[in-house]
Amino acid sequence: MLEKIGAYAAGELEGEEAREAEQLIFERPDYSRLAESYARMLVMLNTLGSEPVEAPEVVVGYAVRRAYASAFMRNAEVFLGSLGRTYLDALFYYFGLRPQRRESYGGGI
Amino acid sequence: MSVEYQGLAARASQGDVEAFRRLVQDHSALVYRVALRVLGTTDAQDASQEVWVRVWRNIGRFRGESAFSTWLYRITVNTCLSVQRKESRRDEREHAEGIPYLPEPSGSDADPEAAALGAERRAEIETALGRVRAEHRAALVLRHMEGLSYAEIAEVLDVPDGTAKGWVSRGRAAMLVAMSDGAAPSLDRNLDGNGG
Repeated sequence: MLEKIGAYAAGELEGEEAREAEQLIFERPDYSRLAESYARMLVMLNTLGSEPVEAPEVVVGYAVRRAYASAFMRNAEVFLGSLGRTYLDALFYYFGLRPQRRESYGGGI
Repeated sequence: MSVEYQGLAARASQGDVEAFRRLVQDHSALVYRVALRVLGTTDAQDASQEVWVRVWRNIGRFRGESAFSTWLYRITVNTCLSVQRKESRRDEREHAEGIPYLPEPSGSDADPEAAALGAERRAEIETALGRVRAEHRAALVLRHMEGLSYAEIAEVLDVPDGTAKGWVSRGRAAMLVAMSDGAAPSLDRNLDGNGG
């Protein structure tokens, strides 16, 4: 009953259920007071919920700094990875470790 | 607006920090507000920072099937619930011994909206919210403070619609019990002695 009257006070009951709740509230003063208490509480919640709340500046700053650091690390990883591969390629070439390719570059038929 | 945020999210997923900054600036209040309501002042800041770290890490998984704000609500609530799980479980009372009532407002306090803005009343609500079980509290906050529909709440909490409704309902009842406990001296809690 506690929850049913709460749902009625929140305007969430329809049809037969709403009529049942209304009947109880009409017949019993304790349920009538309960419905009033719910209504008062819901107004308070709604009012508090609609008050503007600003996030502390430190939250925004921290989030953006973390994102920059993470993006930097990601880019650095990609850069170092490609640099490493280039050096490795150069090393392979220098020591002649690269497998011979069949294709020729220019001049050949 | 939603399309714009989807575009920003897509750019952020490619490593565009400026796009991410826009998302943070436009949604930081939403994240902090929910964290504040679900966790209270002490943990709200750390939880908000953790939310944005998770958003940056997972933004590639945002497919644009729902609004960006719905996806963000989900990460925020999940983060808050995981912070909450680290704490000891709270005992939630969904059933009062009698029927729980809030005292009648008196004098200038009679306008409920004005009364809700008072510092004392605000503290009372926050304390009572803290006594509601975490999942129920999250559902209650999303419904009655953020104004989400049950379908949206179900999507955010990743539960069926019926479960979302049940959690909101239990949260409302537990909240009223907690508030009436806080206001105990002025309450008549034993009318007829049957809480239903």
